[in-house]
Amino acid sequence: MTDSQHQTQQVPLLRVEELTVRLRGEAGIVHAVSDVSFQLQRGQTLGIVGESGSGKSVMARALMGLLPRRATHLMEGSVSLAVDGRVLELLKLSEREFRTLRGPRLAMVFQDPMTALNPVLTLGVQIAEPLQLHLGLNKAQAMARALELLTQVGIPDPEGRLRQYPHQLSGGMRQRVVIAIALACDPQVLLADEPTTALDVTVQRQVLDLLLALQRERQMGMVLITHDLGVVANRADHIAVMYAGRIVEYAPTSRLFSSMRHPYTEALFKSVPRLSDPSHTRLHAIPGRPPQLIDPAPGCAFAPRCPNAQQRCRRETPALAQIGDQHLHACFYPIGSKEVGA
Amino acid sequence: MSETSNPQLRARDDIVLKVEHLVVTFDVGRELVQAVSDVSFDIARGETLGLVGESGCGKSTVGRAIMQLPPPKGGKVIFKGQDITQLEGEALRKTRTALQMIFQDPISSLNPRRRVKDIIAEGLQIWERPNQRARVEEVMEAVGLDPETAADRRPHQFSGGQCQRICIARSLALDPDVLICDEPVSALDVSVQAQILNLLEDMKARYQLTMVFVAHNLAVVKHISDRVAVMYLGKLCEIGSVDAVYQHPSHPYTQALLASIPELETSQEDAIPLLQGDIPSPMNPPSGCRFRTRCPKAQAICAQQEPAMQASPSGIGDHFVACHFPG
Repeated sequence: MTDSQHQTQQVPLLRVEELTVRLRGEAGIVHAVSDVSFQLQRGQTLGIVGESGSGKSVMARALMGLLPRRATHLMEGSVSLAVDGRVLELLKLSEREFRTLRGPRLAMVFQDPMTALNPVLTLGVQIAEPLQLHLGLNKAQAMARALELLTQVGIPDPEGRLRQYPHQLSGGMRQRVVIAIALACDPQVLLADEPTTALDVTVQRQVLDLLLALQRERQMGMVLITHDLGVVANRADHIAVMYAGRIVEYAPTSRLFSSMRHPYTEALFKSVPRLSDPSHTRLHAIPGRPPQLIDPAPGCAFAPRCPNAQQRCRRETPALAQIGDQHLHACFYPIGSKEVGA
Repeated sequence: MSETSNPQLRARDDIVLKVEHLVVTFDVGRELVQAVSDVSFDIARGETLGLVGESGCGKSTVGRAIMQLPPPKGGKVIFKGQDITQLEGEALRKTRTALQMIFQDPISSLNPRRRVKDIIAEGLQIWERPNQRARVEEVMEAVGLDPETAADRRPHQFSGGQCQRICIARSLALDPDVLICDEPVSALDVSVQAQILNLLEDMKARYQLTMVFVAHNLAVVKHISDRVAVMYLGKLCEIGSVDAVYQHPSHPYTQALLASIPELETSQEDAIPLLQGDIPSPMNPPSGCRFRTRCPKAQAICAQQEPAMQASPSGIGDHFVACHFPG
């Protein structure tokens, strides 16, 4: 299935195949990520959209090797990263080997910049740390590079900021610092997990525009994870929609918005309040709520909330199948199919 | 601080709630922060007023100050003709039954050790209302909770969306006139958010509520509001009907807010330039117009003189803006 996902000549930068992650939770084994496959090319942005509990953040942490081993019940599949002409299988790496990749190869921007930064170290020290560790710069060189990075992420008075602590910055400025740290060692893949959710709307756009500009300039592969379709609508090349730990639809961004096929994608799209709607327009709510991921019921996880669901949906789990050029969905009765009455 | 005139207050006889020259200050260490600075607006019976702005603009503080939680430092909150800032003790508590509130985080607003039916009934018990059990069942059904299965459960057995339904049921139990909603859907997933917004609209119609809806999401506010007030750093920037504010935003801040929203299906090419920089600290707000440090239209006068509320150049009735260069 995954082999046909992209017909590309070059080796993808990041290739995830049938990634399955189960975590030990208090109430049982959580089926956090199930059979997730995608590829990411150099210079491309993949948007991953899902609500809480869709598995998007666990997946990102799995790619970064950040899931605590004791809490991980099962991790299956393959995550391969192309590094200097070789292909590394990330799931097989030891923690020690992985550590050499985080920073120069893979980097991550988290949702909450306050908790991502160390409150008792100056920003300069925090930005310089990966430069000294991974690139072997001495302290003066690392500080000089930290200054350049702060300038690149658009922080006014970067010299003064190097000596400041995280609490002295606003949320938007902190997130710019986190981005500077993530980019310090020139990573090939940047994972941004809800990078603007904690920010105000006028600042959100500044930070998103900055991320995109830096991604284009450096030709990084970027995975932009969000719950907000609006955030990825104009920024991602491809979008994967996740529900209950699975990708339910995957398509180039414009194609997804012009011809969405999975009922969940459409329901999510319709439930977003639009500025273009007149006041007091009734919203299309999705009935019910996302499923428990402990002991999931057989069949499609969206079936209990799905307007198209039939008997088969409650018995079998639909596989992610190709329906057109780079467009995949996991649904027995997708929107527009003949078997659906609607 | 001199009090400004308030042309935005309407001369109507169905005004349920009027806030005049509201000032709220907080002690922060040795300093005093003016979180809300001379804010005035009114709400007519059956109206929903949306209060929007970014973090630190004072929108939630206004909501709480209406409830006298805590009482504001200055100004009046006139509810049905009575200034409730002058009330104390029993009289205030009694008046407050007619003003109810729901909050952003529904799970932390519910006592985890109590059963749903007791949580909803608490106000009824305190005020010794008749037919408590029937009333609890009625409001539970109204918000879409099954009294049979839900009444004896505790909050942790419910999802965030269900907990917000419990909060709404509790707020409705005493049959309030005014419901103040402080970011009621921002902690919820989009699919659940739509359910709760639709529910609030239904409850407003069913119980003839007047609402104050505090939120940072302009699209959400547009969906639920009749009038909208935009705040920035403790000040009111613009107020008017939803159509006036969204179709003809007159304050540069409102324009920038609207332009910043990541919209589906639209291209990012916007005529309005993006705002630069961050929101200044409310500890030390800029002189004159508080928005001038980020405003693309700012001139010398903006630093010297605070702009007064004036009729918007949109020409739409009851549309007001506090800006030297509106439009």
